[in-house]
Amino acid sequence: MYNTISIKGLSVSYERKRVLTNIFLELEQGKICGVIGPNGAGKSTLFKAILGLIDINVGTILINGQSIDTQRKTVVYVPQKNEVDWDFPATVFDIVLMGRYPHKKVFSRINDTDKEIALEALEEVGIAHLQERQIGELSGGQQQRVFLARALCQRADIFLLDEPFVGVDVTTEEKIIQILRKLASQNKTLLVVHHDLSNVPSYFDTVVLLNQRLIAFGDTLSTFTEENIAKTYGGQLPILHKTGMIE
Amino acid sequence: MGEIIEIFQTQEWAMRALIASSQVGIMCGVLGCFIVLRNMALIGDALAHAILPGVVFAFILVGYNSLAFFTGSVLAGLFTVIGITWIQHNVKTKNDAAIGIVFTAMFAIGVIGISWISRSEGVHLDLKDFLFGNVLGIKNQDLYLISGVLIYVLLSIIVFYRYLFATTFQPVIAETMGISVKFVHYFLMLLLSFAVVASLQTVGVILVVAMLITPAATALLLSDKLNWVLVISGTIGFFSAVLGLLLAIMFETPPGPAMTLTATAFYLLAALLAPKKGLIFRFFRKRKQEQKVQLEDTLKQSLKLHELGTLSFQNLLTRLGYTKAQLTKHLNTLQTRGLLERNNKQFKLSTLGIDEAQQLVRAHRLWETYLVEKIGLTGEQIHEDAEKYEHLLTEELLDEVDASLGYPSIDPHGSPIPSKKGLPSFPLSHLAVTQTATIASKQVNEQISSRLWQLGLLPNMTISILKKEETTIQLQANDQRINISSTLARQINIMPTK
Repeated sequence: MYNTISIKGLSVSYERKRVLTNIFLELEQGKICGVIGPNGAGKSTLFKAILGLIDINVGTILINGQSIDTQRKTVVYVPQKNEVDWDFPATVFDIVLMGRYPHKKVFSRINDTDKEIALEALEEVGIAHLQERQIGELSGGQQQRVFLARALCQRADIFLLDEPFVGVDVTTEEKIIQILRKLASQNKTLLVVHHDLSNVPSYFDTVVLLNQRLIAFGDTLSTFTEENIAKTYGGQLPILHKTGMIE
Repeated sequence: MGEIIEIFQTQEWAMRALIASSQVGIMCGVLGCFIVLRNMALIGDALAHAILPGVVFAFILVGYNSLAFFTGSVLAGLFTVIGITWIQHNVKTKNDAAIGIVFTAMFAIGVIGISWISRSEGVHLDLKDFLFGNVLGIKNQDLYLISGVLIYVLLSIIVFYRYLFATTFQPVIAETMGISVKFVHYFLMLLLSFAVVASLQTVGVILVVAMLITPAATALLLSDKLNWVLVISGTIGFFSAVLGLLLAIMFETPPGPAMTLTATAFYLLAALLAPKKGLIFRFFRKRKQEQKVQLEDTLKQSLKLHELGTLSFQNLLTRLGYTKAQLTKHLNTLQTRGLLERNNKQFKLSTLGIDEAQQLVRAHRLWETYLVEKIGLTGEQIHEDAEKYEHLLTEELLDEVDASLGYPSIDPHGSPIPSKKGLPSFPLSHLAVTQTATIASKQVNEQISSRLWQLGLLPNMTISILKKEETTIQLQANDQRINISSTLARQINIMPTK
């Protein structure tokens, strides 16, 4: 089994509050999978659990049949843009080079090969000319490209992207989806948290509909149905009624 | 100056003080960058205070011994950090409150300890030395220790630079890469306690935080690359310490405060003069932007008056509300750029000037249209916003706005939106279905003329639009039906039929 994520019976809670309940998922290689659900549905928590950043209460997550700790190099995470200190004294190239860190032993240095790989990644996302720019001097789209370049530079097999299309221009959005498709065609596995329901069918091969529980998972065509979307999003309304948050 | 040199030549304590201070300056400067970037200034201060009980216990156990003080202090420092982190993770107390609670408690224990032992006779442990340093009393043993710590700190930063960089910039990403953020945190705290202990004798508890924070903050104003920030900060730390010491000896002041104030002076200089981030640079950049806005407004109002046929200095003055000197200056600039032609007191816009001014009008009206169509604002709300943005929007962005609006020909107030520079004033694309017009004899360039000739569209030929689709336009010319792309249609100049 290569480039797979296998989640069995996953439950996560923060301070007594259940965030994810009994999730089963088998993700295959070569597919772009969208993770869709309302705010608070546990999308980010699912990512954190896969990345081994949080303790899970129940269940197992296996990457290529093994625990995440042995698979760090093969899994790459592209975070949301707004979680970053853009004033940090670092250039585009510095950030992209970070993608090489997991491949380096403690005492080994960044060498010319690493720099070549980083440059290649920058060229692929189309911002090689900005490599010496401080990261705060970029547009939203360019900042997202930097993170994507870093992910490419890591040469990973499994990509987790959190809202990569938020706050980017149309050209960048096209570029990103084009690169994701190319990665999928190279049998990589891609998991993308996404907000905009309108382009789900054109972007994703498979979808995970999530709202604390797994509502549905499968091919976009058969799974991304009105009924399932209503179950994912509409389910919140009765709860809000009860707590009196809406009239 | 000669006196100072003589002091260093004859007095060994002065030389020792100089060597110790310079090393402390470098060490604190370099390490301080990470403290500042991680928002941990308070931790630095806390550590400095909290190591007092370590010094006291070491004194009780071993007596006056630099290495014992060092060990005791580092242990006390680590105990403090672990205590703070434990509270932050397990008790519902705010982070900075947790720091405050732990370090003041540790400091209090230390103060009680000192008052205890100083009751016995012949004790050389002075709280004042701890608080303000005693750089002039540094012994050789202390010097070896400081050098050792400096080398250790610098080597650690060089070797673990990647880990420090990643965990400081994006701890979550570092964690996903298999770097233990917690381990790096404790490691950095260990380095910090080393540095603080080594600095105590030079600057003392109260001011060590200045040596950590001020050079680092200065360097961050001067560079955008972390490795350079570290080098610059170390250099500033070095000079602050050395100059501070010299000044202290010259003016017979305590050395710690002199070093602190020297570092502060560097900081103020950088805050004023730094390229890009300095106040003066930012002032001039802002002024330059204001001048550009005024110049562009002058050009735009000139066009309006030109169209009314009443372009004169006096009319411009009333419209713009600038002083005479300001307006004269802007008109001179316009003239040197060839946008304005002047004959004695008469002046008029050149063709180039009219083109340029129309681009500003285009920006203004496109933006107004965008605000109404896409954002949903009403007519009254948009003018002021457009006044501001017409100066800021780049041509690239304007083209995108233009395209997203479907190349509109009039703005929400009903005024025509000028075409992009180099495009015809009445493009074929503006013609509606069934309307007729004639092909203008003057086209924007040779390529367009010859392309038209190939299509059989000759000057003064009457045409009418049959069908308009997203990418193509079908038109009737004489008896022919011709399909052309809408891109081409935007570049063809037509004249309305009379």
